[in-house]
Amino acid sequence: MKNNILIIGGGPAGLEASAQLQRMGYNVILIEKSPKLGGHLAKWDRLFPDSVPADEVLGSLLRGAEGVKCFTDTDVRAINRLDKSYNVRLTNGITVLSDAVLVASGFDLFDAVKKEEYGYGIYDQVMTNADLEAYFKTGSDPRIEHPGRIGFAHCVGSRDEKAGCRSCSKVCCATAVKQAIEVKQAFPKAEVYCFYMDLRLFGRHYEDIYLKAQKEYGVRFIRGRVAEVSENYDGTLLVKAEDTVAGKPLKVTLDLLVLMAGMRPSASGKAIGDLLEMQVEEDGYFAVRGGIAAGQRSPIPGIFLAGAATGPKTLPETLADARAAAMEVDRYLTEIFPDAKNYKQLVKERW
Amino acid sequence: MTPLAYILAAQAADPEVIDRIPSGFSAFVLPFTIGVAFMFSWIGVGLIRLLAAIPKSDRIKFAKSLFIPKTALKNIKDLFCDCLFHTKIWQRKPLLGYMHSAIAFGWFMIIILGHIEVALFVPARLNVARGGLFYPIFYRYFVWMNPGHTTLRGAFFFFLMDFFLLYILSGIALAIFKRFRSIVLGMRHTTKPSLADRVALYSLWLIFPLRLLAESFTADLSGGSFLTVPVNHFWHFLFGDKLWFMPCWWAYSICLGLFFAAMPFSRYMHILTEVLWILLRNAGVEPHHPRKGVAEAEIYACSSCGLCLDACPMNVQKKNLKYSSVYFIRFLRRHNEKKINAIADKCLMCDKCHALCPVGVNAPSLRRAQRATVNNALPYDYSYLSTVGATATSASTLGRATASLRSAPPLASQSEAPVPPLTVPRVAWVAPAKVLPEATNKVLYFAGCMTHLTPRIIKSVEKVFKTAGVDYVFADRDGGICCGRPLMLAGKTEAAAAVIEANKKMIEESGCDTLVLSCPICYKIFKEEYHLEGIKVVHYTQFINDLIISGKLPVQETDRKLVYHDPCELGRGCGVYYEPRAALKRCGTLVKASKEYDESICCGGSLGSLTLDTKDRSKISEASLDSLLANDPQTIVTACPLCLKTFSEAVSNSKNRDINVTVKDFAEVVCP
Repeated sequence: MKNNILIIGGGPAGLEASAQLQRMGYNVILIEKSPKLGGHLAKWDRLFPDSVPADEVLGSLLRGAEGVKCFTDTDVRAINRLDKSYNVRLTNGITVLSDAVLVASGFDLFDAVKKEEYGYGIYDQVMTNADLEAYFKTGSDPRIEHPGRIGFAHCVGSRDEKAGCRSCSKVCCATAVKQAIEVKQAFPKAEVYCFYMDLRLFGRHYEDIYLKAQKEYGVRFIRGRVAEVSENYDGTLLVKAEDTVAGKPLKVTLDLLVLMAGMRPSASGKAIGDLLEMQVEEDGYFAVRGGIAAGQRSPIPGIFLAGAATGPKTLPETLADARAAAMEVDRYLTEIFPDAKNYKQLVKERW
Repeated sequence: MTPLAYILAAQAADPEVIDRIPSGFSAFVLPFTIGVAFMFSWIGVGLIRLLAAIPKSDRIKFAKSLFIPKTALKNIKDLFCDCLFHTKIWQRKPLLGYMHSAIAFGWFMIIILGHIEVALFVPARLNVARGGLFYPIFYRYFVWMNPGHTTLRGAFFFFLMDFFLLYILSGIALAIFKRFRSIVLGMRHTTKPSLADRVALYSLWLIFPLRLLAESFTADLSGGSFLTVPVNHFWHFLFGDKLWFMPCWWAYSICLGLFFAAMPFSRYMHILTEVLWILLRNAGVEPHHPRKGVAEAEIYACSSCGLCLDACPMNVQKKNLKYSSVYFIRFLRRHNEKKINAIADKCLMCDKCHALCPVGVNAPSLRRAQRATVNNALPYDYSYLSTVGATATSASTLGRATASLRSAPPLASQSEAPVPPLTVPRVAWVAPAKVLPEATNKVLYFAGCMTHLTPRIIKSVEKVFKTAGVDYVFADRDGGICCGRPLMLAGKTEAAAAVIEANKKMIEESGCDTLVLSCPICYKIFKEEYHLEGIKVVHYTQFINDLIISGKLPVQETDRKLVYHDPCELGRGCGVYYEPRAALKRCGTLVKASKEYDESICCGGSLGSLTLDTKDRSKISEASLDSLLANDPQTIVTACPLCLKTFSEAVSNSKNRDINVTVKDFAEVVCP
């Protein structure tokens, strides 16, 4: 069994799935549209809840996927369904005949410019969670120069009907707590505020870092959304928010505001979805067949989904999803795919 | 029936017209007479009730207005243009205009001419006691033309009567056609008629064909012209010499009677109420209640024509047709409380239905009045806003999050160190607004809440001011009080009044002589409700256009293709269409949108709607965007923070990936 399997997306989900499938003996072809593997993980510095370096995690993922045929800077140009397999033409000119396709197209960070009232792209001292990670990674950012007072605005592009993003992005609460601690570690004298509407610290150890942030680092949590931000003459920010616990509006001057941009369906994933005419749900993420019981099969036979392509997920969830997808692919390729005579019947019954 | 020959012999031989039935009565007039008597008594009672419901001061205002020459002239003009000729419909949909004016003006002329004929030939019959109510209507039945005595004058009237009958019939033919294929007359959607509407509608369709039938049957006796006489010959050819005409006159009378009896319960009530509404409207009397008094005249002046169905931006989705003004008004008539409130809350208040209404029914203001009946009573507690610095009071109720705050150093802005912790209120509700620095300059800029949510507008407006060397004070740099318009739109008129009061004080104390606003929502209310004595209230498009004209603000012409979106509150709301376009023409090539000026489509972001959900709104945005992109512009320019925000999102979320257009604010384009 040397079926070709095309995996679209070289982020954690794509890497983990290709590692698993390769171990099962399949011929895995991994494509990644950017020059580098790793997706958002490659841009992150440390990961919640225990602040392991992202590079370490990425390194182990890459090691696992060693030997996988991998094309970076490559996107899908066209996909045709043949009898059972898929004929995929890539942008680098190569055509792959693949028996199963795994879409691990991941997510895009919400474009914080859209939330204009928070002033990203307009005021100098407003940045996003990704910008802050980049700062931690590189150690330089013109916006960060011994900030005295730093605010984190949660739910930017999450749970916000007006911005067209109804769903919760799952990871931002914990990321904000993690980043608040890290900022406090970098600038012990800084005052750090988190403006949240709900804290969704659902995972293992998440609550621990939340308590640690308050007890050890004195991060202040204010329950209420940031309403608007304006710039003072000296370049500092005037943030208007509401403390819903105290029932009072408040104004605070900050030196730096970090927007916790949420997860949105990825644009390049959507393009692939369009090529495949794959069903997308109201929230913009791909629909999965069989609901919660079987979360990795798309409605189209032979097309699988993993990771944040089917909704916001934390890294452990993504990895688990990728492994599950590998199992699903294997089951399909061993039980359904080879039976040329009964293929259609089997797909009907078991896809 | 008395033999005809006997009556004729009894008449004097000379006159042109012979009153052939001495009693001046025939039983067939009864259905008509009963119907019309019922209608007039209904309307009489209604009129008294309506006038009684208008506040006394308004009643006096109304009575006085009838004698002010200017208003009286406008009344006459409006009555002719709006009620008879329907000029507003003509301008937009010529065929539809022809249809309406054919029926309205044609019928009016037939009634008038009928009375003139009676007055000329048998004047005694104008007396109500001698049949004045029905005689002129059935004139042709009651008279006999004295052969050989027909004068030119008589022939003239015969011609006119036939002419207008034909005119009406052509209108009716179009109306019947419209019921089945409305799109041909320029209407995508038409209203669903109610039961009374149907009765009245079908009788209306029948009235004039039956009139033609009845008059043509008697045309050889009572005379006729180019229409009735040939038809009469045709009947003779078909049925021989003896024409049995009574059934036709009965049918004609019954249809008229049915129409008038159904009229008070149908859309055709507008024929008469329109007159009253136009008089009230021109007198400047406004509704205080969504159903009583002036509003009642307005409600019944609605002809249910359904032009607002196509106008309403919500109707890009067929499911929203039910929220249109025409149905809102129908439910107001029926006192359907539940539906009224749901519909009133849905509306975007873009005012397009009002702008396009042939009789100028101001449905948005009725909706606002309806919202006020519910929302004014809603209790909101704003008291906390005045409790500056009182953290301790709520300390016991603080949750986990603020618990950590109490031990923490106070959170105050760095520049103003000794500010109490966490409680600097964003606004002082009705408490005196902050005192601005005395304006040595005379320009006050008020950005408003919406502009604060789109900071790039503030940046560019300030840039314009600096470039043009305008000395100004930024009234709400650190936040201000809401202008009150959103409250007003939500029907919270009392709360709005409180806000207006506070802002007014702040502005008057500033000593400015020009108030510049970058938000049309603010602009409308500042202009209409604030009554700022001696202060010129301008929208920034007007202000900037003046700066350009006077040469203070240099602009650079580019070859960019621009399209301008008329914000509802600025265009239809305040009539500002010219200035923004004038300024933009100097900055690039201004292309047309498919719907613009007063037909501009709301961006979908309007604050006016209280319940319309995001999905429906985004459909409206798409429609509006499509209209703007009709001529492939490179930049969409708008002059409203809300439109800017909505279109920016609509463009980035658009399903059409090929669109390559940027959305910019007016000030950004003028001063890049």
